[in-house]
Amino acid sequence: MIQVNALAGGLFILTVFGIVAMRQVIGILRLFVAQSILLAGSACILGYEYSSIHLFVVAGITVFTKAFLIPWLLYHMLTHEIHARREITQVFNIPVSLFISAGLVICSYFMVRPLLNTDPSAFLRVNLPIGVAGLFIGGYAVIARREALPQLFGILTMENGAFLAGACIAPNLPLMAELAAAFDVLIIALVVGLLTRSINKRTGTTLVGRMTRLKEE
Amino acid sequence: MAQKIIFNIIQVLVVMIFSPLVKGVFDRLKERVQSKQGPGIFQPYRDIFKLFHKDEIISEESSWIFRFTPYMVFTAPIFVTLLIPVLTSYPLFFAFMGDMLAGGSILALGGFFATLAAIDTGNPYGAMGASRTRMVGFLAEPVFMIVFFTVSFVAGSTIPYIVQQAWVTPIANFFAPAHVLVMLAFLMLIIAENGRIPVDNPSGHFELAMIDESKGLEYSGRGAALMKWGGCMKFFVLLCIFLNVLVCPWGLATTGSFFELLLAIPLVLLKMLGFIVILVVIESSLSKLRLFRISEFMVAAFVTSVVAVVIQLIEL
Amino acid sequence: MELFIILLIPVIVTFVCIIPVKGYMLSARATIIGSFAVLVVSSSMAFAPGLSAHGGPIAFGGWLFCDGFSALIVLLVSFVGFTASLFSLGYMKRMETEMETEYEPGQFRIYYALYNLFLLSMLAVPIFSNVALVWIAVELTTLLSVFLVGFENSSEALEAAWKYVVLTCMGAAIALVGVLILYWGLRLTGTDQFTWSQLFHAAPKMQPVFLKTAFLFILIGFGTKAGLVPLHTWLPDAHSQAPSPVCALLSGIETTTALYIIIRLVPLMTTISGNMASPWLITFGMISVGTAAFLLIQVKDYKRLFAFSTIEHMGIILVAVGLAGSAANLGAVSQIVAHTITKSFCFFAAGATLLVTGTRDISRVRGLIRTSPAAGAALLVGGFAIAGAPPFAVFVSEFSIIRAGLAAGHYLVIGGLVLFIVIAFCGIMSHINGMVFGIPLEKTAAKPVLPAACKFALAIAVVPVVLFGIYYPHAIHTLMQFAALSMGR
Repeated sequence: MIQVNALAGGLFILTVFGIVAMRQVIGILRLFVAQSILLAGSACILGYEYSSIHLFVVAGITVFTKAFLIPWLLYHMLTHEIHARREITQVFNIPVSLFISAGLVICSYFMVRPLLNTDPSAFLRVNLPIGVAGLFIGGYAVIARREALPQLFGILTMENGAFLAGACIAPNLPLMAELAAAFDVLIIALVVGLLTRSINKRTGTTLVGRMTRLKEE
Repeated sequence: MAQKIIFNIIQVLVVMIFSPLVKGVFDRLKERVQSKQGPGIFQPYRDIFKLFHKDEIISEESSWIFRFTPYMVFTAPIFVTLLIPVLTSYPLFFAFMGDMLAGGSILALGGFFATLAAIDTGNPYGAMGASRTRMVGFLAEPVFMIVFFTVSFVAGSTIPYIVQQAWVTPIANFFAPAHVLVMLAFLMLIIAENGRIPVDNPSGHFELAMIDESKGLEYSGRGAALMKWGGCMKFFVLLCIFLNVLVCPWGLATTGSFFELLLAIPLVLLKMLGFIVILVVIESSLSKLRLFRISEFMVAAFVTSVVAVVIQLIEL
Repeated sequence: MELFIILLIPVIVTFVCIIPVKGYMLSARATIIGSFAVLVVSSSMAFAPGLSAHGGPIAFGGWLFCDGFSALIVLLVSFVGFTASLFSLGYMKRMETEMETEYEPGQFRIYYALYNLFLLSMLAVPIFSNVALVWIAVELTTLLSVFLVGFENSSEALEAAWKYVVLTCMGAAIALVGVLILYWGLRLTGTDQFTWSQLFHAAPKMQPVFLKTAFLFILIGFGTKAGLVPLHTWLPDAHSQAPSPVCALLSGIETTTALYIIIRLVPLMTTISGNMASPWLITFGMISVGTAAFLLIQVKDYKRLFAFSTIEHMGIILVAVGLAGSAANLGAVSQIVAHTITKSFCFFAAGATLLVTGTRDISRVRGLIRTSPAAGAALLVGGFAIAGAPPFAVFVSEFSIIRAGLAAGHYLVIGGLVLFIVIAFCGIMSHINGMVFGIPLEKTAAKPVLPAACKFALAIAVVPVVLFGIYYPHAIHTLMQFAALSMGR
């Protein structure tokens, strides 16, 4: 079980790397679906291990909203962007981005190490550093990406990372809070999707990184 | 002792005999997936046989390197065969001579001579292909290193026979994320090293776009046959390392019995068939990367293996 | 019960707003009435005798609660919500007729619906007792206000909305990890209720490493939302591109709700040895104040001017909290109050200026006092008040912070703070002075006068700005003392 959970964690971090490196928006969308399923899988394993029905519910909600509803929603709101847009220039080129991401993984491990010392659980050793790494790399993707939808997926990756860490450190958060958080992620996707659409309508592009009208002179 | 030497010789013979077959099956399968007829699975044997009976033409401008290279390319995989588990899961007579790093270096030596020979004749396409091969190689080598280090870090050794046991004892180790990530990184390496899509197109006939193939353009007759055969054996050997050491260490002979050794031959070939199907799917569903995107592909492999190390660190 | 009513009213009004009737006057009036009702209920709750620093009404089996600090924030939210809804009435009318973009009445109904939801989420932040739910409420304040920021639908407004949602959502995700770590630490002490009061009781038993890590994550996460430098880059954009009544809400109160959570954590941090929160708070605060003070000098857009002033004030509040001690805490609370009422008034004044001149450029607004006395006077009062001139509320609160700091012996911090405040004062006043008193530009054709609703909103909003500069009424002073106590306990 520990190994399978670690495997889910390892593949999770790989999908996070993919979100930094992938060019086509459709590929990022697929990776995000895979990532959410891995998150749900990890939650299921932890639920089985801690015999907590609660985490199974969380896994169910995750699969329903993140692997099904959000992609469906975005696909129907922004069909054209998802198929047509591909990002030519990131702020850094992709190899550099990947190296920075690898550095962030190591960074996040050392960052949470003092916390790991308090609890010797093997699940914690996987989920917490990888979740925090997902958080940081997702944030990096938001900064390094110039397209609207990759930035959105960066944010959603950050949330996924936070949930992966949360599945093991807070397995019995009130169900109401979990439901509200899932709902919240849905609203993020909806709001940002709608905003992308109006930006596209207004300016004819979704290259949000090039919007620099507002700045200090 | 004598038995081990015999087994070793059988191992070499298996590699020599079956490697063109693997290539033939691969080509045939690929054509079939793409709804074409394709050559028969024995076509590589016929090609090699035909080439041995043709005249060899060697450019007057070339040096001894050009003449020497086919033998180098042909013998390098044979030496590696002596070191790695092809049919048996216990070390054979010559296995003490080197570990996986040594195997990698011997294969690299063959590649090095092939590159020199490509420049040697003065054919511009050869030099172009050589420089591109070097570019891919120079990106692939750090990944090779880090994959080997990850493997040895996990298994505590670089001897392939010890490594293959470390993945499956206990069986849960097989699912360790470090193992899966290393497998993934090594798969990407095999693709790059053998000039497969998406790094290079092995069935392309357009010299300007070639990477690997253009190095052998100048050879004819026996030289071409040896180069071709050597290429097949290199592929076979890499698959052996990948499958027998990293992915699936089952199905090898574990005792000294002769029958078991013979039984291992079809089992290993079956494993290869399974893997070839996967490779065919990859080749048919991806398109070739542009030359400067290859670095991204290799960095992806590199980062994958680095992550494997990090995860291994975290878990320990 | 009051708690429930406070949350229920905006929900009802939202439903009224989306009724598809002709025009949008129904939703506008419903919003004004609804927000006034919220103001009445929240003041009755805030000034009720049952309220104290650590206790007050609870509802829904402890899911909703209210103590002195919460009551103060609720009161401020509802006050700004009411005045901004009044201002919206006049502003939206003018947008419908004057601006270049064509608007349909349906868009205004959506505006009002979102306005109420935004208000609801901001009211929920101090009222929710479960910390995880508070996080969600804060996240919702962002998500529900995105389309208010982008309401004018120009490419600048959409850019501002984009930066706003992306950066604050990133911050929220970081804060989420902080909240979860806090819960983890809490659970290890055997407490299962993830509420503020349980957290406080369990804090001495918690291992310091959890508190420290959680505090840092939450400080960075919600600091983004409060506009702390260097995470502030979205704030001047969003707060300048949104319609003015929304700016008043965003700048006046939304930033404060983000600070509310950080401030709630401070008493937990004091329980661990070597109070780690203070240096972080003071450092972040000083950087924010300093950066904002220098950026204030070079702005070209008067709404950005006020936005940078918000960053400055957030920094001052943080420094005051970091100084610790009851006098500094009271100073921080009065700074929160003064900032909220003054900044919302400033944005009303800026909105009025925008309505009569039609431009956001400082250099194209000159001699406003002659072309439009009402807007000019409002801008002048707002500028003086926000820069910290006597006899306005901000002067009193900044003065009390400085006095508290000097009394506690933090000479270096206070010296820097005074320097930055003076620079910011000069920056704001030089811009405002030119706008109000300069020679009117030839070309500025006389624009129509301010709508009555805007004048009325300005008249209401100016009352506390002046009043609190002279003295705090007893009831409010008691409430502020409760709030300061719950910060320092």
